[in-house]
Amino acid sequence: MWFRRLLALFALLVPLVLLAIAVFLVFYAWPAIHYNGLDFLWRDTWNIGNQYASPIQRHGETVMPGAQFGILFLVAGTLGSALIALLFAFPLGLGAALFLSEAVPHRFGHFVSFFVELLAGIPSVVFGLWGIVFLIPFLSHHVYPVLARLFHFIPFLTRPIGSGYGLLTSSLVLCLMIVPFITATLRDALRSQSTEMREAGISLGATRFEVATRILLPGQKTALAGATMLAFGRALGETMAVLMVSGNALNYLPHNVYSPISTMAAFIVAQLDSALADPTGMAVRSLAEIAVLLLVISLITNGIARLLIGMLKEHTL
Amino acid sequence: MNQILSKSPAPSDGPVIPNPKFQVRNLNFYYGTAHALHDISLDIAERKVTTFIGPSGCGKTTLIRCFNRIYELHPGHRASGEILMDGTNLLSKSQDVHALRAKVGMVFQKPTPFPMSVYDNIAFGVRLYERLSRTRMDDRVEWALKKSALWEEVKDKLLESGTRLSGGQQQRLCIARAIAIRPEVLLLDEPASALDPHSSLKIEALITELKADYTIILVTHNMQQAARVSDFAAFLFMGDLIEYKDIDTLLTNPSSPKTDAYITGRYG
Repeated sequence: MWFRRLLALFALLVPLVLLAIAVFLVFYAWPAIHYNGLDFLWRDTWNIGNQYASPIQRHGETVMPGAQFGILFLVAGTLGSALIALLFAFPLGLGAALFLSEAVPHRFGHFVSFFVELLAGIPSVVFGLWGIVFLIPFLSHHVYPVLARLFHFIPFLTRPIGSGYGLLTSSLVLCLMIVPFITATLRDALRSQSTEMREAGISLGATRFEVATRILLPGQKTALAGATMLAFGRALGETMAVLMVSGNALNYLPHNVYSPISTMAAFIVAQLDSALADPTGMAVRSLAEIAVLLLVISLITNGIARLLIGMLKEHTL
Repeated sequence: MNQILSKSPAPSDGPVIPNPKFQVRNLNFYYGTAHALHDISLDIAERKVTTFIGPSGCGKTTLIRCFNRIYELHPGHRASGEILMDGTNLLSKSQDVHALRAKVGMVFQKPTPFPMSVYDNIAFGVRLYERLSRTRMDDRVEWALKKSALWEEVKDKLLESGTRLSGGQQQRLCIARAIAIRPEVLLLDEPASALDPHSSLKIEALITELKADYTIILVTHNMQQAARVSDFAAFLFMGDLIEYKDIDTLLTNPSSPKTDAYITGRYG
Protein backbone atom coordinates (compact mmCIF):
# COMPACT_ATOMS: atom_id res chain seq x y z
CA MET A 1 0.00 0.00 0.00
CA TRP A 2 2.72 2.45 1.00
CA PHE A 3 4.53 1.45 -2.21
CA ARG A 4 1.55 2.44 -4.34
CA ARG A 5 1.33 5.74 -2.54
CA LEU A 6 5.01 6.33 -3.12
CA LEU A 7 4.61 5.67 -6.84
CA ALA A 8 1.57 7.92 -6.99
CA LEU A 9 3.64 10.64 -5.37
CA PHE A 10 6.37 10.22 -7.97
CA ALA A 11 3.84 10.28 -10.76
CA LEU A 12 2.27 13.43 -9.40
CA LEU A 13 5.65 15.06 -8.88
CA VAL A 14 6.21 15.79 -12.57
CA PRO A 15 3.04 17.81 -13.23
CA LEU A 16 3.45 19.41 -9.81
CA VAL A 17 6.94 20.60 -10.68
CA LEU A 18 5.64 22.08 -13.92
CA LEU A 19 2.83 23.80 -12.06
CA ALA A 20 5.21 25.04 -9.38
CA ILE A 21 7.54 26.53 -12.00
CA ALA A 22 4.66 28.25 -13.74
CA VAL A 23 3.17 29.61 -10.51
CA PHE A 24 6.57 30.76 -9.27
CA LEU A 25 7.33 32.48 -12.58
CA VAL A 26 4.04 34.34 -12.62
CA PHE A 27 4.43 35.44 -8.97
CA TYR A 28 7.99 36.47 -9.51
CA ALA A 29 7.18 38.36 -12.70
CA TRP A 30 4.04 39.92 -11.30
CA PRO A 31 5.55 43.36 -10.41
CA ALA A 32 6.98 43.51 -13.96
CA ILE A 33 3.67 42.50 -15.50
CA HIS A 34 2.03 45.24 -13.46
CA TYR A 35 4.70 47.84 -14.25
CA ASN A 36 5.05 47.08 -17.97
CA GLY A 37 1.39 46.51 -18.77
CA LEU A 38 0.41 45.62 -22.31
CA ASP A 39 3.04 48.00 -23.67
CA PHE A 40 5.51 45.23 -22.93
CA LEU A 41 4.54 43.59 -26.21
CA TRP A 42 4.34 46.69 -28.41
CA ARG A 43 7.30 48.73 -27.24
CA ASP A 44 10.60 48.10 -28.96
CA THR A 45 12.97 49.45 -26.31
CA TRP A 46 14.56 47.52 -23.50
CA ASN A 47 16.20 49.91 -21.07
CA ILE A 48 17.02 48.92 -17.51
CA GLY A 49 17.33 52.61 -16.55
CA ASN A 50 20.06 54.73 -15.02
CA GLN A 51 21.90 52.41 -12.70
CA TYR A 52 23.79 55.26 -10.99
CA ALA A 53 20.70 57.18 -9.87
CA SER A 54 18.44 56.45 -6.94
CA PRO A 55 15.37 54.25 -7.45
CA ILE A 56 12.08 56.02 -8.02
CA GLN A 57 8.42 55.07 -7.70
CA ARG A 58 6.43 54.65 -10.91
CA HIS A 59 3.08 52.99 -11.45
CA GLY A 60 3.34 51.84 -7.85
CA GLU A 61 6.61 49.96 -8.38
CA THR A 62 10.18 50.78 -7.43
CA VAL A 63 12.34 51.11 -10.55
CA MET A 64 15.48 52.86 -11.72
CA PRO A 65 14.83 56.17 -13.49
CA GLY A 66 14.24 55.68 -17.24
CA ALA A 67 13.55 51.96 -16.88
CA GLN A 68 11.38 50.80 -19.75
CA PHE A 69 10.84 47.28 -20.88
CA GLY A 70 9.47 46.45 -24.32
CA ILE A 71 10.11 43.31 -26.33
CA LEU A 72 8.58 43.99 -29.73
CA PHE A 73 11.99 43.41 -31.33
CA LEU A 74 12.20 40.08 -29.54
CA VAL A 75 8.75 39.06 -30.68
CA ALA A 76 9.72 40.00 -34.23
CA GLY A 77 13.00 38.09 -34.01
CA THR A 78 11.43 35.02 -32.41
CA LEU A 79 8.46 34.74 -34.75
CA GLY A 80 10.51 35.76 -37.79
CA SER A 81 13.30 33.25 -37.27
CA ALA A 82 10.90 30.43 -36.36
CA LEU A 83 8.63 31.10 -39.32
CA ILE A 84 11.47 31.32 -41.84
CA ALA A 85 12.99 28.17 -40.33
CA LEU A 86 9.66 26.42 -40.81
CA LEU A 87 9.45 27.71 -44.37
CA PHE A 88 12.66 25.83 -45.17
CA ALA A 89 12.15 22.89 -42.84
CA PHE A 90 8.66 21.99 -44.04
CA PRO A 91 9.48 21.14 -47.67
CA LEU A 92 12.82 19.65 -46.63
CA GLY A 93 11.24 17.43 -43.98
CA LEU A 94 8.38 16.47 -46.26
CA GLY A 95 10.77 15.59 -49.08
CA ALA A 96 13.03 13.61 -46.78
CA ALA A 97 10.09 11.69 -45.31
CA LEU A 98 8.73 10.88 -48.76
CA PHE A 99 12.16 9.80 -49.90
CA LEU A 100 12.83 7.64 -46.84
CA SER A 101 9.48 5.89 -46.83
CA GLU A 102 8.86 5.54 -50.56
CA ALA A 103 11.96 5.88 -52.69
CA VAL A 104 14.72 3.91 -51.02
CA PRO A 105 14.98 0.24 -50.05
CA HIS A 106 13.97 -0.39 -46.46
CA ARG A 107 17.41 -1.19 -45.11
CA PHE A 108 18.97 1.94 -46.57
CA GLY A 109 15.98 3.93 -45.36
CA HIS A 110 16.52 2.69 -41.81
CA PHE A 111 20.19 3.56 -42.08
CA VAL A 112 19.49 7.13 -43.18
CA SER A 113 16.65 7.44 -40.66
CA PHE A 114 19.12 6.68 -37.92
CA PHE A 115 21.12 9.74 -38.91
CA VAL A 116 18.04 11.89 -39.14
CA GLU A 117 17.18 10.96 -35.56
CA LEU A 118 20.78 11.52 -34.52
CA LEU A 119 20.46 15.06 -35.85
CA ALA A 120 17.63 15.63 -33.39
CA GLY A 121 19.83 14.56 -30.49
CA ILE A 122 22.81 16.84 -31.14
CA PRO A 123 23.24 19.43 -28.36
CA SER A 124 22.24 22.84 -29.64
CA VAL A 125 25.55 24.39 -28.61
CA VAL A 126 27.19 22.18 -31.22
CA PHE A 127 24.90 23.60 -33.89
CA GLY A 128 25.76 27.07 -32.62
CA LEU A 129 29.48 26.52 -32.76
CA TRP A 130 29.26 25.00 -36.22
CA GLY A 131 27.19 28.01 -37.23
CA ILE A 132 29.89 30.40 -36.03
CA VAL A 133 32.95 28.65 -37.43
CA PHE A 134 31.55 27.36 -40.69
CA LEU A 135 28.10 28.57 -41.65
CA ILE A 136 28.51 32.29 -40.97
CA PRO A 137 31.79 32.80 -42.88
CA PHE A 138 30.43 30.70 -45.74
CA LEU A 139 27.07 32.48 -45.92
CA SER A 140 28.39 35.99 -45.49
CA HIS A 141 31.13 35.59 -48.11
CA HIS A 142 29.56 33.34 -50.70
CA VAL A 143 25.81 33.17 -50.33
CA TYR A 144 24.41 36.43 -48.99
CA PRO A 145 26.20 38.73 -51.49
CA VAL A 146 24.82 36.65 -54.37
CA LEU A 147 21.38 36.48 -52.81
CA ALA A 148 21.29 40.24 -52.25
CA ARG A 149 22.38 40.92 -55.82
CA LEU A 150 19.97 38.45 -57.40
CA PHE A 151 16.98 39.69 -55.43
CA HIS A 152 17.93 43.35 -55.10
CA PHE A 153 14.35 44.29 -56.05
CA ILE A 154 12.86 42.50 -53.04
CA PRO A 155 13.09 44.77 -49.95
CA PHE A 156 13.72 41.97 -47.44
CA LEU A 157 16.48 40.38 -49.47
CA THR A 158 18.43 43.41 -50.59
CA ARG A 159 21.58 44.92 -49.02
CA PRO A 160 23.03 45.59 -46.49
CA ILE A 161 24.06 42.01 -45.80
CA GLY A 162 25.80 42.74 -42.51
CA SER A 163 28.15 40.39 -40.72
CA GLY A 164 26.43 37.07 -41.34
CA TYR A 165 25.07 37.00 -37.79
CA GLY A 166 21.35 37.53 -38.08
CA LEU A 167 17.85 36.49 -38.95
CA LEU A 168 18.43 34.24 -41.95
CA THR A 169 21.45 32.51 -40.38
CA SER A 170 19.44 31.82 -37.24
CA SER A 171 16.60 30.46 -39.34
CA LEU A 172 18.91 28.14 -41.26
CA VAL A 173 20.43 26.74 -38.07
CA LEU A 174 16.94 26.36 -36.57
CA CYS A 175 15.80 24.67 -39.75
CA LEU A 176 18.46 21.97 -39.37
CA MET A 177 17.38 21.44 -35.79
CA ILE A 178 13.69 21.01 -36.52
CA VAL A 179 13.81 19.06 -39.79
CA PRO A 180 14.24 15.75 -37.90
CA PHE A 181 10.94 16.31 -36.07
CA ILE A 182 9.01 16.76 -39.28
CA THR A 183 10.85 13.98 -41.10
CA ALA A 184 10.52 11.38 -38.35
CA THR A 185 6.84 12.04 -37.61
CA LEU A 186 5.84 12.05 -41.27
CA ARG A 187 7.97 9.08 -42.20
CA ASP A 188 6.33 7.02 -39.46
CA ALA A 189 2.90 8.22 -40.53
CA LEU A 190 3.59 7.22 -44.13
CA ARG A 191 5.10 3.88 -43.18
CA SER A 192 2.19 3.04 -40.93
CA GLN A 193 -0.11 3.06 -43.95
CA SER A 194 -0.93 -0.35 -45.23
CA THR A 195 0.76 -2.03 -48.17
CA GLU A 196 -2.77 -2.65 -49.48
CA MET A 197 -3.40 1.07 -49.91
CA ARG A 198 -0.11 1.43 -51.74
CA GLU A 199 -0.79 -1.54 -54.00
CA ALA A 200 -4.30 -0.28 -54.74
CA GLY A 201 -2.85 2.98 -56.02
CA ILE A 202 -0.10 1.25 -57.99
CA SER A 203 -2.57 -1.18 -59.56
CA LEU A 204 -4.48 1.78 -61.01
CA GLY A 205 -1.30 2.78 -62.79
CA ALA A 206 -0.13 5.51 -60.43
CA THR A 207 3.58 5.86 -59.72
CA ARG A 208 4.93 5.41 -56.20
CA PHE A 209 5.30 9.16 -55.99
CA GLU A 210 1.72 9.78 -57.08
CA VAL A 211 0.50 7.24 -54.56
CA ALA A 212 2.50 8.88 -51.77
CA THR A 213 1.54 12.45 -52.55
CA ARG A 214 -2.06 12.01 -53.64
CA ILE A 215 -3.30 9.04 -51.61
CA LEU A 216 -1.09 8.52 -48.57
CA LEU A 217 -0.24 12.12 -47.64
CA PRO A 218 -3.76 13.58 -47.83
CA GLY A 219 -4.74 11.00 -45.21
CA GLN A 220 -1.94 12.33 -43.02
CA LYS A 221 -2.91 15.99 -42.87
CA THR A 222 -3.21 15.91 -39.10
CA ALA A 223 0.17 14.25 -38.68
CA LEU A 224 1.64 16.87 -40.94
CA ALA A 225 0.07 19.70 -38.96
CA GLY A 226 1.03 18.14 -35.62
CA ALA A 227 4.64 17.65 -36.63
CA THR A 228 4.81 21.19 -37.93
CA MET A 229 3.45 22.63 -34.70
CA LEU A 230 5.92 20.62 -32.61
CA ALA A 231 8.75 21.81 -34.81
CA PHE A 232 7.51 25.39 -34.59
CA GLY A 233 7.40 25.15 -30.81
CA ARG A 234 10.94 23.88 -30.74
CA ALA A 235 12.11 26.71 -33.01
CA LEU A 236 10.41 29.32 -30.83
CA GLY A 237 12.05 28.06 -27.67
CA GLU A 238 15.52 27.25 -28.97
CA THR A 239 18.09 29.20 -26.99
CA MET A 240 21.75 28.38 -27.27
CA ALA A 241 22.23 27.95 -31.03
CA VAL A 242 20.27 31.10 -31.77
CA LEU A 243 22.14 33.03 -29.10
CA MET A 244 25.39 32.15 -30.86
CA VAL A 245 24.44 33.07 -34.43
CA SER A 246 21.71 35.71 -34.15
CA GLY A 247 23.88 38.77 -33.58
CA ASN A 248 22.12 39.57 -30.28
CA ALA A 249 20.37 42.68 -31.47
CA LEU A 250 19.13 45.03 -28.76
CA ASN A 251 16.26 47.42 -29.39
CA TYR A 252 16.52 46.84 -33.09
CA LEU A 253 13.78 45.68 -35.41
CA PRO A 254 15.08 43.63 -38.35
CA HIS A 255 14.61 45.37 -41.71
CA ASN A 256 15.92 42.61 -43.90
CA VAL A 257 16.75 38.93 -43.56
CA TYR A 258 20.42 39.69 -42.85
CA SER A 259 19.64 41.98 -39.88
CA PRO A 260 20.88 40.93 -36.47
CA ILE A 261 18.06 39.77 -34.25
CA SER A 262 17.49 38.37 -30.83
CA THR A 263 14.85 35.94 -29.68
CA MET A 264 12.97 35.77 -26.42
CA ALA A 265 14.80 32.69 -25.19
CA ALA A 266 18.25 33.85 -26.24
CA PHE A 267 17.63 37.31 -24.81
CA ILE A 268 17.00 35.96 -21.30
CA VAL A 269 20.45 34.39 -21.31
CA ALA A 270 22.16 37.34 -22.96
CA GLN A 271 20.69 39.98 -20.63
CA LEU A 272 20.66 38.13 -17.33
CA ASP A 273 24.04 39.48 -16.22
CA SER A 274 23.22 43.14 -16.69
CA ALA A 275 19.68 42.66 -15.40
CA LEU A 276 21.05 41.27 -12.14
CA ALA A 277 22.87 44.57 -11.65
CA ASP A 278 19.53 46.37 -11.32
CA PRO A 279 19.12 46.94 -7.56
CA THR A 280 15.33 47.18 -7.83
CA GLY A 281 15.13 43.75 -9.43
CA MET A 282 12.67 45.00 -12.03
CA ALA A 283 14.98 44.03 -14.94
CA VAL A 284 15.19 40.40 -13.83
CA ARG A 285 11.45 40.34 -13.18
CA SER A 286 10.91 41.62 -16.70
CA LEU A 287 13.09 38.80 -18.01
CA ALA A 288 10.89 36.46 -16.00
CA GLU A 289 7.90 38.01 -17.74
CA ILE A 290 9.49 36.99 -21.05
CA ALA A 291 9.87 33.50 -19.63
CA VAL A 292 6.18 33.44 -18.69
CA LEU A 293 5.27 34.44 -22.24
CA LEU A 294 7.56 31.77 -23.65
CA LEU A 295 6.00 29.16 -21.39
CA VAL A 296 2.50 30.16 -22.46
CA ILE A 297 3.46 30.07 -26.15
CA SER A 298 5.11 26.66 -25.89
CA LEU A 299 2.14 25.28 -23.92
CA ILE A 300 -0.20 26.52 -26.65
CA THR A 301 1.84 25.16 -29.58
CA ASN A 302 2.43 21.84 -27.81
CA GLY A 303 -1.22 21.64 -26.89
CA ILE A 304 -2.29 22.14 -30.48
CA ALA A 305 0.28 19.62 -31.70
CA ARG A 306 -0.85 16.96 -29.17
CA LEU A 307 -4.44 17.59 -30.08
CA LEU A 308 -3.73 17.08 -33.78
CA ILE A 309 -1.61 13.97 -33.25
CA GLY A 310 -4.26 12.63 -30.86
CA MET A 311 -6.91 13.16 -33.53
CA LEU A 312 -4.71 11.23 -35.92
CA LYS A 313 -4.43 8.25 -33.57
CA GLU A 314 -8.17 8.17 -33.04
CA HIS A 315 -8.61 8.29 -36.76
CA THR A 316 -6.35 5.33 -37.53
CA LEU A 317 -7.78 3.09 -34.79
CA MET B 1 0.01 -12.14 -84.79
CA ASN B 2 -0.63 -15.64 -85.98
CA GLN B 3 3.05 -16.28 -85.95
CA ILE B 4 3.34 -15.32 -82.34
CA LEU B 5 0.35 -17.44 -81.47
CA SER B 6 1.69 -20.46 -83.27
CA LYS B 7 4.97 -20.09 -81.40
CA SER B 8 3.13 -20.58 -78.16
CA PRO B 9 1.16 -23.77 -78.37
CA ALA B 10 -1.37 -24.30 -75.63
CA PRO B 11 -0.29 -26.58 -72.83
CA SER B 12 -1.39 -30.08 -73.75
CA ASP B 13 -3.32 -30.85 -70.59
CA GLY B 14 -5.34 -27.61 -70.32
CA PRO B 15 -8.77 -26.86 -71.72
CA VAL B 16 -8.93 -25.89 -75.40
CA ILE B 17 -9.22 -22.12 -75.54
CA PRO B 18 -9.46 -20.47 -78.94
CA ASN B 19 -8.00 -16.93 -79.10
CA PRO B 20 -6.86 -16.74 -75.49
CA LYS B 21 -6.49 -13.32 -73.86
CA PHE B 22 -3.40 -14.46 -71.98
CA GLN B 23 -0.90 -17.18 -72.68
CA VAL B 24 1.25 -17.95 -69.66
CA ARG B 25 4.39 -19.83 -70.63
CA ASN B 26 6.97 -21.33 -68.28
CA LEU B 27 6.29 -18.77 -65.60
CA ASN B 28 8.56 -19.00 -62.58
CA PHE B 29 8.33 -16.71 -59.62
CA TYR B 30 10.80 -16.00 -56.84
CA TYR B 31 10.52 -14.23 -53.50
CA GLY B 32 14.22 -13.54 -53.11
CA THR B 33 15.61 -17.07 -53.21
CA ALA B 34 12.30 -18.83 -52.49
CA HIS B 35 10.96 -20.41 -55.65
CA ALA B 36 7.20 -19.83 -55.40
CA LEU B 37 5.87 -20.78 -58.84
CA HIS B 38 7.30 -23.61 -60.95
CA ASP B 39 7.01 -23.49 -64.72
CA ILE B 40 3.37 -22.47 -64.93
CA SER B 41 1.85 -22.61 -68.43
CA LEU B 42 -1.82 -21.96 -69.12
CA ASP B 43 -4.15 -20.03 -71.40
CA ILE B 44 -6.78 -17.61 -70.14
CA ALA B 45 -10.00 -17.21 -72.12
CA GLU B 46 -11.30 -13.80 -73.09
CA ARG B 47 -14.50 -12.60 -71.39
CA LYS B 48 -14.70 -15.60 -69.14
CA VAL B 49 -14.06 -16.06 -65.46
CA THR B 50 -10.91 -18.07 -64.79
CA THR B 51 -10.39 -18.98 -61.16
CA PHE B 52 -7.22 -20.02 -59.36
CA ILE B 53 -7.90 -22.29 -56.43
CA GLY B 54 -5.74 -24.14 -53.97
CA PRO B 55 -4.74 -24.25 -50.31
CA SER B 56 -3.07 -21.29 -48.60
CA GLY B 57 0.48 -20.78 -49.83
CA CYS B 58 -0.11 -22.68 -53.08
CA GLY B 59 0.83 -19.69 -55.21
CA LYS B 60 -2.58 -18.60 -56.49
CA THR B 61 -2.19 -15.04 -55.26
CA THR B 62 1.41 -14.97 -56.47
CA LEU B 63 0.21 -16.02 -59.90
CA ILE B 64 -2.55 -13.42 -60.20
CA ARG B 65 -0.12 -10.68 -59.13
CA CYS B 66 2.00 -11.40 -62.21
CA PHE B 67 -0.68 -10.24 -64.63
CA ASN B 68 -0.28 -6.54 -63.77
CA ARG B 69 3.25 -6.84 -62.40
CA ILE B 70 2.12 -5.45 -59.07
CA TYR B 71 4.79 -7.63 -57.43
CA GLU B 72 7.42 -5.19 -58.70
CA LEU B 73 6.50 -2.88 -55.85
CA HIS B 74 8.45 -5.16 -53.54
CA PRO B 75 12.20 -5.58 -53.85
CA GLY B 76 13.34 -9.15 -54.45
CA HIS B 77 10.08 -10.27 -56.06
CA ARG B 78 10.89 -11.51 -59.53
CA ALA B 79 9.17 -13.38 -62.35
CA SER B 80 10.70 -15.16 -65.33
CA GLY B 81 9.06 -16.74 -68.35
CA GLU B 82 6.35 -15.16 -70.44
CA ILE B 83 2.83 -13.91 -70.09
CA LEU B 84 1.53 -12.99 -73.53
CA MET B 85 -1.39 -10.61 -73.55
CA ASP B 86 -2.93 -10.49 -77.02
CA GLY B 87 0.38 -11.80 -78.25
CA THR B 88 2.84 -9.43 -76.54
CA ASN B 89 4.90 -10.44 -73.56
CA LEU B 90 3.86 -8.24 -70.68
CA LEU B 91 6.79 -9.40 -68.56
CA SER B 92 9.32 -7.99 -71.00
CA LYS B 93 11.35 -4.97 -69.95
CA SER B 94 9.99 -2.91 -72.83
CA GLN B 95 6.41 -3.29 -71.60
CA ASP B 96 5.14 0.04 -70.22
CA VAL B 97 3.61 -0.89 -66.85
CA HIS B 98 1.51 2.27 -66.79
CA ALA B 99 -0.15 1.19 -70.05
CA LEU B 100 -0.41 -2.38 -68.79
CA ARG B 101 -2.25 -1.31 -65.64
CA ALA B 102 -4.65 0.76 -67.72
CA LYS B 103 -5.70 -2.47 -69.40
CA VAL B 104 -5.49 -4.76 -66.38
CA GLY B 105 -7.33 -3.58 -63.28
CA MET B 106 -7.05 -5.20 -59.87
CA VAL B 107 -9.18 -5.54 -56.76
CA PHE B 108 -7.68 -6.79 -53.52
CA GLN B 109 -8.84 -8.91 -50.62
CA LYS B 110 -9.16 -6.02 -48.21
CA PRO B 111 -11.30 -3.13 -49.47
CA THR B 112 -8.99 -0.16 -49.97
CA PRO B 113 -11.02 3.00 -50.48
CA PHE B 114 -8.71 6.01 -50.67
CA PRO B 115 -9.17 8.65 -47.95
CA MET B 116 -11.17 10.91 -50.26
CA SER B 117 -14.73 11.29 -51.49
CA VAL B 118 -16.57 8.51 -53.32
CA TYR B 119 -16.42 10.66 -56.44
CA ASP B 120 -12.68 11.30 -56.17
CA ASN B 121 -11.98 7.66 -55.45
CA ILE B 122 -13.18 6.92 -58.95
CA ALA B 123 -11.92 10.06 -60.65
CA PHE B 124 -8.42 9.50 -59.22
CA GLY B 125 -7.57 6.65 -61.55
CA VAL B 126 -9.26 8.23 -64.56
CA ARG B 127 -7.23 11.41 -64.09
CA LEU B 128 -4.02 9.40 -64.37
CA TYR B 129 -4.85 8.63 -67.99
CA GLU B 130 -7.38 11.12 -69.31
CA ARG B 131 -8.22 14.79 -69.04
CA LEU B 132 -11.99 14.91 -68.95
CA SER B 133 -14.29 17.88 -68.67
CA ARG B 134 -16.35 18.08 -65.51
CA THR B 135 -19.51 16.75 -67.17
CA ARG B 136 -17.71 13.90 -68.90
CA MET B 137 -16.03 12.97 -65.63
CA ASP B 138 -19.43 13.03 -63.92
CA ASP B 139 -20.72 10.69 -66.61
CA ARG B 140 -17.77 8.37 -66.20
CA VAL B 141 -18.16 8.21 -62.42
CA GLU B 142 -21.87 7.49 -62.75
CA TRP B 143 -21.23 4.85 -65.40
CA ALA B 144 -18.59 3.08 -63.29
CA LEU B 145 -20.80 3.15 -60.21
CA LYS B 146 -23.78 1.78 -62.13
CA LYS B 147 -21.64 -0.89 -63.69
CA SER B 148 -20.49 -2.01 -60.24
CA ALA B 149 -24.06 -1.97 -58.86
CA LEU B 150 -23.28 0.76 -56.37
CA TRP B 151 -24.95 3.81 -57.93
CA GLU B 152 -28.32 3.47 -56.22
CA GLU B 153 -26.68 3.25 -52.82
CA VAL B 154 -24.23 6.15 -53.13
CA LYS B 155 -25.71 8.57 -55.64
CA ASP B 156 -26.70 10.94 -52.81
CA LYS B 157 -23.36 10.77 -51.03
CA LEU B 158 -20.82 11.11 -53.80
CA LEU B 159 -19.00 13.79 -51.87
CA GLU B 160 -18.82 11.80 -48.64
CA SER B 161 -15.65 9.98 -47.76
CA GLY B 162 -15.27 6.57 -49.39
CA THR B 163 -14.05 5.18 -46.07
CA ARG B 164 -17.51 5.72 -44.55
CA LEU B 165 -19.18 3.12 -46.78
CA SER B 166 -19.84 -0.40 -45.53
CA GLY B 167 -17.30 -3.12 -46.28
CA GLY B 168 -19.29 -4.52 -49.19
CA GLN B 169 -19.89 -1.06 -50.61
CA GLN B 170 -16.20 -0.25 -50.24
CA GLN B 171 -15.30 -3.34 -52.22
CA ARG B 172 -17.75 -2.45 -54.98
CA LEU B 173 -16.28 1.04 -54.93
CA CYS B 174 -12.87 -0.54 -55.56
CA ILE B 175 -14.34 -2.49 -58.47
CA ALA B 176 -15.92 0.71 -59.82
CA ARG B 177 -12.55 2.43 -59.46
CA ALA B 178 -10.87 -0.28 -61.51
CA ILE B 179 -13.61 -0.29 -64.15
CA ALA B 180 -13.61 3.50 -64.53
CA ILE B 181 -10.27 3.35 -66.30
CA ARG B 182 -11.97 1.07 -68.85
CA PRO B 183 -9.65 -1.92 -68.60
CA GLU B 184 -9.96 -5.13 -70.59
CA VAL B 185 -9.09 -7.42 -67.72
CA LEU B 186 -10.02 -7.52 -64.05
CA LEU B 187 -7.87 -9.32 -61.50
CA LEU B 188 -9.87 -10.14 -58.40
CA ASP B 189 -7.76 -11.41 -55.51
CA GLU B 190 -10.21 -12.97 -53.03
CA PRO B 191 -12.51 -9.98 -53.45
CA ALA B 192 -15.26 -11.33 -51.19
CA SER B 193 -13.34 -13.11 -48.46
CA ALA B 194 -13.36 -10.14 -46.08
CA LEU B 195 -17.10 -9.55 -46.53
CA ASP B 196 -20.25 -10.85 -44.90
CA PRO B 197 -22.22 -13.52 -46.85
CA HIS B 198 -24.77 -11.05 -48.19
CA SER B 199 -22.16 -8.63 -49.55
CA SER B 200 -20.21 -11.60 -50.82
CA LEU B 201 -23.17 -12.78 -52.90
CA LYS B 202 -23.57 -9.29 -54.33
CA ILE B 203 -19.95 -9.34 -55.46
CA GLU B 204 -20.48 -12.74 -57.07
CA ALA B 205 -23.53 -11.53 -58.95
CA LEU B 206 -21.47 -8.57 -60.10
CA ILE B 207 -18.65 -10.82 -61.34
CA THR B 208 -21.12 -12.85 -63.40
CA GLU B 209 -22.45 -9.66 -64.93
CA LEU B 210 -19.05 -8.15 -65.63
CA LYS B 211 -17.70 -11.10 -67.55
CA ALA B 212 -19.74 -10.04 -70.57
CA ASP B 213 -17.32 -7.14 -70.99
CA TYR B 214 -14.16 -8.14 -69.17
CA THR B 215 -11.76 -11.00 -68.96
CA ILE B 216 -11.83 -11.88 -65.27
CA ILE B 217 -9.20 -13.73 -63.28
CA LEU B 218 -10.31 -14.65 -59.80
CA VAL B 219 -8.52 -16.03 -56.78
CA THR B 220 -10.66 -17.62 -54.13
CA HIS B 221 -10.45 -20.22 -51.40
CA ASN B 222 -14.20 -20.64 -51.38
CA MET B 223 -15.13 -23.66 -53.50
CA GLN B 224 -18.83 -22.79 -53.62
CA GLN B 225 -17.96 -19.37 -54.90
CA ALA B 226 -15.62 -20.83 -57.51
CA ALA B 227 -18.37 -23.21 -58.61
CA ARG B 228 -20.95 -20.42 -58.89
CA VAL B 229 -18.98 -17.88 -60.89
CA SER B 230 -16.16 -19.61 -62.80
CA ASP B 231 -15.95 -20.86 -66.34
CA PHE B 232 -12.50 -22.35 -65.93
CA ALA B 233 -10.50 -23.22 -62.87
CA ALA B 234 -6.86 -24.00 -62.21
CA PHE B 235 -5.82 -25.92 -59.12
CA LEU B 236 -2.41 -24.99 -57.74
CA PHE B 237 -0.49 -26.84 -55.10
CA MET B 238 2.86 -25.79 -53.62
CA GLY B 239 3.72 -23.65 -56.61
CA ASP B 240 2.78 -26.22 -59.24
CA LEU B 241 -0.17 -26.09 -61.58
CA ILE B 242 -1.78 -29.44 -60.86
CA GLU B 243 -4.85 -29.28 -62.99
CA TYR B 244 -6.60 -26.79 -65.28
CA LYS B 245 -10.07 -27.52 -66.65
CA ASP B 246 -13.50 -26.08 -67.14
CA ILE B 247 -15.03 -25.71 -63.70
CA ASP B 248 -17.60 -28.48 -63.95
CA THR B 249 -15.09 -31.11 -64.96
CA LEU B 250 -12.62 -29.99 -62.33
CA LEU B 251 -15.20 -30.19 -59.58
CA THR B 252 -16.95 -33.39 -60.63
CA ASN B 253 -14.19 -35.35 -62.25
CA PRO B 254 -10.75 -34.21 -61.12
CA SER B 255 -7.92 -36.24 -62.58
CA SER B 256 -5.43 -35.60 -59.80
CA PRO B 257 -5.91 -37.07 -56.32
CA LYS B 258 -4.56 -33.79 -54.90
CA THR B 259 -7.35 -31.81 -56.54
CA ASP B 260 -9.87 -34.35 -55.35
CA ALA B 261 -8.55 -34.12 -51.80
CA TYR B 262 -8.75 -30.32 -51.85
CA ILE B 263 -12.23 -29.95 -53.29
CA THR B 264 -13.64 -32.56 -50.99
CA GLY B 265 -12.18 -30.58 -48.13
CA ARG B 266 -9.49 -32.88 -46.85
CA TYR B 267 -7.06 -29.98 -46.56
CA GLY B 268 -6.88 -26.32 -47.21
